[in-house]
Amino acid sequence: MNWRRLNNVLHRDIGYLAVGLSIVYGVSGVAVNHKADWNPSYRVGKTFQQIDPVAAGDRDGMVREALEKLGIDQAPRSAFRPNPETLQLFFRQATYSIDLPSGAVVIEAARARPVLFEFNQLHLNTPKRLWTVVADLYAVALVALAVTGMFVLKGRTGITGRGAWLTAVGVLLPGLYWVYYLYR
Amino acid sequence: MRRVFTIAVVLFACASLVLAAGVKKYGKDLTLKETTKISAIHAQPDAFTGKKVKVQGPIVEVCEMKGCWIALGSDKEFQTIRFKVDDGVIVFPMTAKGLTATVEGVVTVETLSVEQQLAQGKEMEKEMNKPFDPKTVKGPKTVIMIKGEAAEIQDAAGR
Repeated sequence: MNWRRLNNVLHRDIGYLAVGLSIVYGVSGVAVNHKADWNPSYRVGKTFQQIDPVAAGDRDGMVREALEKLGIDQAPRSAFRPNPETLQLFFRQATYSIDLPSGAVVIEAARARPVLFEFNQLHLNTPKRLWTVVADLYAVALVALAVTGMFVLKGRTGITGRGAWLTAVGVLLPGLYWVYYLYR
Repeated sequence: MRRVFTIAVVLFACASLVLAAGVKKYGKDLTLKETTKISAIHAQPDAFTGKKVKVQGPIVEVCEMKGCWIALGSDKEFQTIRFKVDDGVIVFPMTAKGLTATVEGVVTVETLSVEQQLAQGKEMEKEMNKPFDPKTVKGPKTVIMIKGEAAEIQDAAGR
């Protein structure tokens, strides 16, 4: 097997292996790039409810009274009073913030975005440990794909022809942008 | 093809079971044996400044944008303490609200000027998607925070 055939086999097989991860990192990359404009992992919703005022007293009593007035028969994960006028009830999918004197309730619900949540967790390496190794291997695979990719074809469309120009553009793009970023 | 699909499903199911375990670790392992009450830190912040502590409490707030901090409720009412990690070191899930967290880190105490509070309030308004009323800032404020890299959350299922 000559070197070009070996190169092409490597490029092909590493490419197949990298398909899944490339989709995960690519889709999540776009989502996370715009996190200033939206929450890429959670859909956060806010609704309002009005109940009768809840008398301030001991916390357990207030929680019982609030649950009854809200019509909830499920025990919350926990309850907390951030200030004397507010009682917060925490459930798996929602947080109820009750203004005790007025009975105004703000319900905040955070739901993980299907698929995108998992993609983002992997992309941002939330699991750490073994996933760090997988992510490192993927990074090495990307470098290998880039290097072997330059030598897949020979001739006019290869690295000595059009490939050289396109590779130069790809290398210049981050370099020029960095200079622009430094001196703008 | 069917075999590949079966293997993928089994691997995914195993991963889900691991994620659904009772206590979920975030970042490094906890090392301290003694747990400090959050109210004790509030009572004497200067005595704890620069010291490494382990505290426990219900998660009452989570950073919506980056998951880079959580606020823990104190053992005394109306008190919280924020546990902050460097961006990306740990990403806390928003669905962890209400669960009990044990965290470890170094206590920092900072006095924020009115200007700093106004700037922070505007930032938080965007980060937490909650309106900020500048009138709530009435003077310099002492902020107690724990900066660390280790946390455990009870019953966190991962999402």
